[in-house]
Parts: sequence; C-alpha cells; structure tokens
Amino acid sequence: MIRFCLERLAQLIIVFFFVTTLTFLLLRLAPGDPAYILLTTHDVPASEEALNALRKELGLAESLWSQYFQWITDAFTWQWGTSYVSKELVVEELFRRIPATIELATAGLVVMIAVTLIMGISTAIYSHGLLNQVGKLMALLGSSIPTFWLGFLLIYFFSVQYGWLPSMGRGTVKHLFLPAITLGLGLGSMYARVLRTNMLEVMNQPFIKAAMARGLSKKRIFIFQVFKHAFLPVVTMLGTSFAFMLGGSIIVEEIFSWPGLGKYIVEAINMRDYPVIQGYVMLTTFIFVAIHNVVDMIYVWLDPRLRVS
Amino acid sequence: MEKKSQQNYSLVFYVVFCSLVFILAGCSGMEKQESGGGATDNNVTLAFPWSPTSLDPHGIDSWEIMRSGTGETLVKLNEDLEPTPWLAKAWKQENETTWVFQLEESVSFHNGKAMNAASVIESLKRSLEKDQKAIDLLQVESMEPLSENELKIVTKQPNAALIAHLADPSTIIVDVSTIEDKNNYPALTGAFQFKQFNKDESLVVERYKDYWGEKAILSEITIKFIPDGNTRLMALQSGDVDAATDISIDNIPILEKDEKFAVLTAESLRTHMLLFNMRSPLFKDIALRKVIDQSIPRENIVQSIMLEQGTEAKSPFPEILPFGKVLENAPNETIEQLMTQEGWEKNSDEMWQKEGKPFEVNLLTFPQRPELTVMAEIIQSELLNEGIKANISQVENIDEALANDEWDLSMYSMLTAHTGDPQYFLNIFYQSDSESNVSYYDSPTIDGMIDELNRTSESAKRNQLALKIQEVIHTDLPQSFIVHPKTVFAVRKEVKGFTPHPIEYYYIHSKIDVNE
Repeated sequence: MIRFCLERLAQLIIVFFFVTTLTFLLLRLAPGDPAYILLTTHDVPASEEALNALRKELGLAESLWSQYFQWITDAFTWQWGTSYVSKELVVEELFRRIPATIELATAGLVVMIAVTLIMGISTAIYSHGLLNQVGKLMALLGSSIPTFWLGFLLIYFFSVQYGWLPSMGRGTVKHLFLPAITLGLGLGSMYARVLRTNMLEVMNQPFIKAAMARGLSKKRIFIFQVFKHAFLPVVTMLGTSFAFMLGGSIIVEEIFSWPGLGKYIVEAINMRDYPVIQGYVMLTTFIFVAIHNVVDMIYVWLDPRLRVS
Repeated sequence: MEKKSQQNYSLVFYVVFCSLVFILAGCSGMEKQESGGGATDNNVTLAFPWSPTSLDPHGIDSWEIMRSGTGETLVKLNEDLEPTPWLAKAWKQENETTWVFQLEESVSFHNGKAMNAASVIESLKRSLEKDQKAIDLLQVESMEPLSENELKIVTKQPNAALIAHLADPSTIIVDVSTIEDKNNYPALTGAFQFKQFNKDESLVVERYKDYWGEKAILSEITIKFIPDGNTRLMALQSGDVDAATDISIDNIPILEKDEKFAVLTAESLRTHMLLFNMRSPLFKDIALRKVIDQSIPRENIVQSIMLEQGTEAKSPFPEILPFGKVLENAPNETIEQLMTQEGWEKNSDEMWQKEGKPFEVNLLTFPQRPELTVMAEIIQSELLNEGIKANISQVENIDEALANDEWDLSMYSMLTAHTGDPQYFLNIFYQSDSESNVSYYDSPTIDGMIDELNRTSESAKRNQLALKIQEVIHTDLPQSFIVHPKTVFAVRKEVKGFTPHPIEYYYIHSKIDVNE
C-alpha cells in the first residue's frame, strides 16, 4: 500500500511538472504582450518608456529560461506569484472567487439532479406516453440550445417581461435561480434520458423478475432495486459535470455577471495575466489529479484484488 | 461484478471530490461582503462595463475610480474640452518650465484631513512612482510647496500641455497615507466617497457631507460592473439598474421605442481609422494611399454601420476640439488618373495590374471592435468595385500583428485626445522613433513640428500648430480617418442630470438626481 501511495505521488509530481511546463510555454507562444495590453486598456497609446518600464517590472524583459526557472520554483513552493493587473497574490485572487463558483456549481447541480430524477423516473414509468415524448424533446433541446441563448431567454422572460427575478449579479437566493437553471437544465435533460434507459434496462433484468416473483411490492422494487442500480452510472456523469462547473462556468458567469472563477479567468486571458492563468491551471490540475489519486488509493484499500494486481 | 465495482468507484470518486472541494471552499473564507441594502429614495444604480481591480487611484484603475465620482484632479475639462479649475483654482506660468498653482482652500479628504500643497505634492509624487503614463504626461523635474495652498511644478522640458494633462485620471489627488490602510478605503476629495466595494460585482459610493463644492443631490450611487453588453441592456430593461453606459448601437431602436427610457449620445474623442503600412512596397508611394483613401465610403459607413451615431472623420481629432476642424480639400485627381500615372492598367477582369501583378492588398482587422470588421468588409467591397482586391484577415491581437511588416492595411481605433490636448497623442503616434508609431511614418517635418508644439504654451498658437501638423498628415496620408463614433447611454426617464460628456470619466457628478 505504501509503495502504491508513493507511486501515485510520483505520478502526481510528473503530471504537475508537465502541466506547468506546457502552460508556461503555451502562454509564451500565444500572441499578446501583457505590458502593451495593460497600458492601452483605455485605447490611449503608450510610450516606449512606459512599455519598457512595465515589461521590466513584470519580469517580461528577462530571458525565457529565467522566467521559466522562476515559475517552476514558484510552482513547487506553492507561490503562485502576483497578478499583473491587480498586483495582488494570485492565490488570494483565485481563492476569493471560489465560494461564488461553488455556490453556482452547487445550485446548478441541484437543478441538474432534480431535472434528471423527475424526468428520468417519470419517463421510465410512462415509457410510451406523452410524457416520454416531452422528455425526448427536452433532451434534444437541452443538447442543442446554446447556454448563452438559454440564459438570455430566461433573463428576458423572468426579469425583463415579468420582473420576477434579478437579471444579473450575486447576493440573494433569488439571484441564483436563473444562472442555476441555465447551468443545470440542459445537462439534466440529457442525463434524464440516460437514467430512463438504464431504468428500462434494469427492469428487464432477471433479478427484478425474481423480486416480483417473491411478491415484493412494486414500489419497493422500483426504489431499492431498479432506481438504485440505474442511478449509479448517472452519478459519475453528474460528478464529472460538477467538477467542470467548479472550474468556472465561463459563459453563465459572464452572462449573469457572476463573480466567480470563470468570469475571472476570461478577464485574465484577455489581459494576458500570465500568473493568474498559470495559477488557475495549477489549481484545477491539482484538484483533478489529487481526487483521482485519492479515489484510486481508497479503491485499492477497499478492493484487495487490486492490491494483488 | 465488474459493473458493481464501477458503480462503487463512481460513488467514491464523487464523495471524495465533493469533500475536497468543500474543504477548499471553507479554507478560502467568505470574503464577500453583503451588499449594502438600505437603498434610499435618492439612490441610483448604474451599470458600467468596466470594473476596478482595486480602489487605488494611481495606476491601472485610475479611470474607473474617476468614473465613480469619488476622485478629483487639479484641473477639469469642461464640455468644450477646455481645462478649467478644479482642485487648483488658478495657475500661472512663470517661465517655460515653471508653473505655480493656487489650490482651493476649503478642500478636505474623505477622512476629514485638510488638503494642502504638501499633500497634493505627495499624491502627485505617488502618481509618478506608480504610473509611467503620468511621467510621460507631466514630465516633472521637481515640485515644492510655496505656502499652505500654493505649489510650484518645474518640468524637465517645456511642457505646454501640462495644464490639460493634469486632468488625466492618473493624477487623482489622494491622501497617500490612506492607500495602504487595510481597514479603510482611500480618502479622495470628490463629491462622493467610497462606501462599499465588492470586487467584480459593485461599488457603492455615498454623498460626502463635507464636500468643498456643490454637495451631491443623491445620497448614494451603486455602480454595477456588467461587462456583457446584452446583460447590461437587459439589466436596464428589467429595472435592476437605472442607467447604463456603452449601449450597442444595434440596441438603440429597442430602447427608443420604450417610453421608459431616454437614449443619450455624446461625441467621443475616439477615431476609427485605416492604417497604411508605410514599409509595404505598395504603400511606400503616396499615390496608392490616395487611391485607397478616396475609395473609403465614409458617408455610407456613418449611415449604415454607425446608424448615424458618429461623424465622418477628416483628421485624427474630432471636430468638437478646437484643433479638430481641419479643412479638407477635394482631391485633384481621380482614382483612374492616379493609377494610370503610376503605370497601372486594367486587365480583362477590370482589375488593376502592373507588370503582370494585380493590385492585391491584405487588410487586418480584429474582433474586439466588431464594427471595424464590418467597415473592413464595406471597404473591401468598394475597393473591388475600383478594381483592387483586398484580402481581410482577422487577428486576435492587432498590436502584435502590426509589429511585423507583413501587412498592407489595418483597421484601428484610438482615443486621440483624452485630455483635450493633441500633444500626447501626436508625440506617441507620429514621432518617427516612437514604438506606437504603428504606420512606420517617418517625417522629419512632423517631428520638428511636434517638438515645436511641445514648446509652445499659448493656446491659440498650439491649436494652429496642431492644425498645421494635421494638414501635413493629411497630405502624407499615413492613415485614412474614417469615423468618430459617439458614445451611447441609456437612462430611465426618472434619472435627471445624467449628461453625457465627451470625456469618458466624468459620468458621475453631484447634480445627478432621480424623480420619484
């Protein structure tokens, strides 16, 4: 077990090294001079002296190797540098926005689960009725309607036309409704179809027939046998979606002016704020790799056969 | 068995992932403050596309701070874009490089501390330390207090634009000791003071009760930062905000139909232009630059693309400026004459060619200002009618693309006189050795005239000189100027006093009010 953990830790370091290096190189290859962009934010031209002074201040005048060495040292000592734009520590900048993103991602997940369960179960029970056709249509719309369009549509009806909900911003629970629906509705409709198919498959399994033969109630069979087996694969999909949402739902955060990671990273990319982009990539890499490794370790701990293999 | 193990794996993955994320969230701390609430009857909410990263008035956020109505400079530009007294009530030039400023006497910072010559000097020194643009604009050699409310500024070389440049937001006057204070917001001198700043979300400013000038009518203004144009429009329509700036011209008809809103426009100091690459073999020669210039359908662009929200441009500076009224002479030669004089002839496809090579140019544009791409397409179509082929390339970063030589024409847009003075722009954009001289225009005549402008202090003479410089530019044609766009605002009709100003940072002032 200890060897396994050490192997995984080594893998984590290797992945981390490659991701940080790749991020550094790709950013430097991408067009755009951060100093020029910063100084011409308001479209007022900048002097050569101003450009050179800022490049020097940001460390962009140093050689690529020197910048890389600095970056790699910072990365492995958990120092993520300072934002070119705000001059604040990148760690603080990113962590300040995580609560807003988690709030939105969680609300989006709740909508997604609700839509998945309600539509998935009802269309599985009434698999040949009108409800099933509605479910099909919603799944089709969910996968084909662009998020930004759905977002604006919801704002138009619920804020502009009827004034029931705020059109943008963060603050109260009311502010969460529209962005959460925009985030969760589409994917929820699609996952509902997956749940429905799984449930119909499970219903035809011999163990369900055996349960019926034993005289168990339909309700009991449905909840404890069919749903339990059919829902587990959907959990993985919901989990993956949630993980992506935590990286920042860029479009939804932008449309609803939601002050989370997604909106921030778009601004950082536009401003070529290298330390912030690099820090963001490091953070998301760390979360994903760490979770996968922890899950692997727990799995090995739970299943002795894997330890042998 | 295998399926069951997969299901278990999924559950474990999900549980571990959620746990880690919530632990992370817990560690980060909830720094967001609750929004102010307590909206009073005389509170207005505005939507701006820009958001400051901090409340430090010196550096990258100076424009955003100025826009919040909290900051003031020594000099202010009036609606005719002339420098007028603000924190400095009078000034005089003692010699070519020495200026003496008389400060308003009853000014106090938002922390109650009185403003005096020493605190102004301290603030200006910090501007110069934090912002190279302030150094370029002011060119300060030394500053010293002469009395409690009098200070002397000596410039390194004659800088006749010093007064106008002191209106730049990079020179906002602040009590420097409050900048690093983590428990309080910076103390400035404006009619409004900071009340609450929620980074990325909003800034609430409240009336400063001890303001030295006319006190603000509104007790509070909330500025919401909404970068997306459509969201800004919908926030206005839904009543979440009372006014919004930078409304897309496509949305004007929607708002004009609704009697709840008033659409306001202001002349801007921006110029959309077409750059010529003076190093391109085609455009080294003036004749072909003239051909392109004559092909630009400016009237059509103003009507069809700008929907009348702009004016045809003849020079880098708009006509609202005293040095922007350049007389344009009708071209002496037609496109046909210019081309034939240069040895070009039309082929069987009615396209111009010389020594077997067609007249083909590449034209750069960029996505950040979508209207420029539409203009490029109209120009491309007009050039095709004239027998010239233009290939449009959209580049993500226009300044990066312009830095290499492989382009012929490019769409571009600049704020040309943001302090109401031509000096800064002419120096940066036209001096032969400037890095921002993107057309690679090299003219000793222009260099000399700009140097003379830098030394001339008398306003009328400066305007004359600026006009003469533009005449030379008009003759040499390093750029073709297309249109001066207007800035569009929309307000709910109850909001009074929200007067659009050509200067983009004077939106909030003490006279804004709201009718119940």
